[in-house]
Amino acid sequence: MSVRLSAIPGLPPLLACFGLLALWEMAAKVFGIAGLPPAHEALYELPAILSDPEALINILHSIRRMSVGFVLALAVAVPLGLAMGRSRIVAAFFNPLLMMIYPVPKAALMPIIMLWLGIGDAPKTLVIFLGVSLPISYHAYQGARAVEEKVLWSAAAMGMSPRWQLLRVVLPAALPEIFVGVRTGLVLALITMVTSEMIARQAGVGNILFNSLDMAQYDAVYATILIIAALGFGLDLAIERLRSWLIAWAEPVHQLAVGTA
Amino acid sequence: MATMIAIDGLSKAFAAAHTATERPALSDISLQIAEGEFVSIVGPSGCGKSTLLYMVGGFVAPSRGAVSVAGKPVTGPGPDRGPVFQEFALFPWKTVLGNVMYGLLQQGVNKPEAEAKARALISLVRLTGYERFYPKELSGGMKQRVAIARTLAYGPSILLMDEPFGALDAHTRTGLQNELLEIWERDRKTVLFVTHSVEEAVFLSDRVVVLTASPGRVKATIDIDLPRPRRRAELLVDRRYQTLMIRIEHLMDSPQVQP
Repeated sequence: MSVRLSAIPGLPPLLACFGLLALWEMAAKVFGIAGLPPAHEALYELPAILSDPEALINILHSIRRMSVGFVLALAVAVPLGLAMGRSRIVAAFFNPLLMMIYPVPKAALMPIIMLWLGIGDAPKTLVIFLGVSLPISYHAYQGARAVEEKVLWSAAAMGMSPRWQLLRVVLPAALPEIFVGVRTGLVLALITMVTSEMIARQAGVGNILFNSLDMAQYDAVYATILIIAALGFGLDLAIERLRSWLIAWAEPVHQLAVGTA
Repeated sequence: MATMIAIDGLSKAFAAAHTATERPALSDISLQIAEGEFVSIVGPSGCGKSTLLYMVGGFVAPSRGAVSVAGKPVTGPGPDRGPVFQEFALFPWKTVLGNVMYGLLQQGVNKPEAEAKARALISLVRLTGYERFYPKELSGGMKQRVAIARTLAYGPSILLMDEPFGALDAHTRTGLQNELLEIWERDRKTVLFVTHSVEEAVFLSDRVVVLTASPGRVKATIDIDLPRPRRRAELLVDRRYQTLMIRIEHLMDSPQVQP
């Protein structure tokens, strides 16, 4: 009897990671470019960065800005999307605006926003907020639009007012779709977090990355990229756990699980 | 008996896509339904029979005419009229118990009382043991049982049933028809029941209203004077049942009366 490798939880993604590292190691050996140090050198650099208090503070600042931007985006984008999904007037007003802003790279707005808000936390948090708001409001809109009319009628027959229906029927019914937006938003938050720090260099993970680059410490550059990747993976896993806990009732519409193969 | 639902000159037209014209769906329906009466509406698909029920429910506004319930004009949905839809329309994020309790909590009933009442109704629709299941884990027949219990829970005096068994297989369908009659015999609520099955309408109803094809008008109203409680097997050999079935099938078949 052969044991199927894919049946062991966590093994296939682990193998893929090792495969990538091996490929990297070989490529570094073959090409011998200064800008591409072997994988093991980047890995050796990890403990140094992770035990450096200043680096840790930088990472925490990044996470804090990202969280603030993310939570603000949730608070604004979910109600907006739900209102758009249930009111044609609201949708007609906001949808063209959102569709125009969605494809604009938010980091491209950084220089302008810095003119208004300086180089501190505010402009970085604002671009993260913008980046996250769009996918979440779009998916909340789609989710609210897809709510079955008869589910709302059933609530209306119980004496529930339209305003309460939005909170107590449309919101839970749209939650699976909202989570699709949250997941996309998280990825965008991470990207805008790093790029905003690349433009307004003062603190954060992006700052460590580009400082190392300036000093030609390529192993540290790659180690930082690994840290950012691990951060994204961990946050995504957390959102996925939250999702499966909050909406266990939903039909599996989108099977997106990353950490669970 | 007192009139429970009075439908007076009710018409509905929908805006037709891509044109400035309106497509009439229902035309000049007048109908009186007595308290405790079980009335079915049958007619070819597209005759607007569901739209008629939605207007009684207050979910859709009429283009002309009016509906009044217990003497009061209908202006919107209300807990005196409980709908049951073909699509079940359960709250998917709530368990069976949560769905059945929902209307009670909405009415301000306290939680222990709502739960006790919901459990009794779940047992009435034969779903004891499924209280903690989510709708996605249930079959179509079970979902519709939950929907019926959820509507009965908040005590509407009228049930508005929109092809409730239309999405179910034949076996489940006849089972639920029997259960519905058993439940109905207990307190004889007023029921307005929309179906495209003549057999179902005759088996369940006191009166069957036949509508014409689009736009729907009342073609005939037939009293179903078959004794209750009704047994399907007995009805099949009953002369009166056969006569009624043949008569209504003829009405459904005959060429449409054009306006």
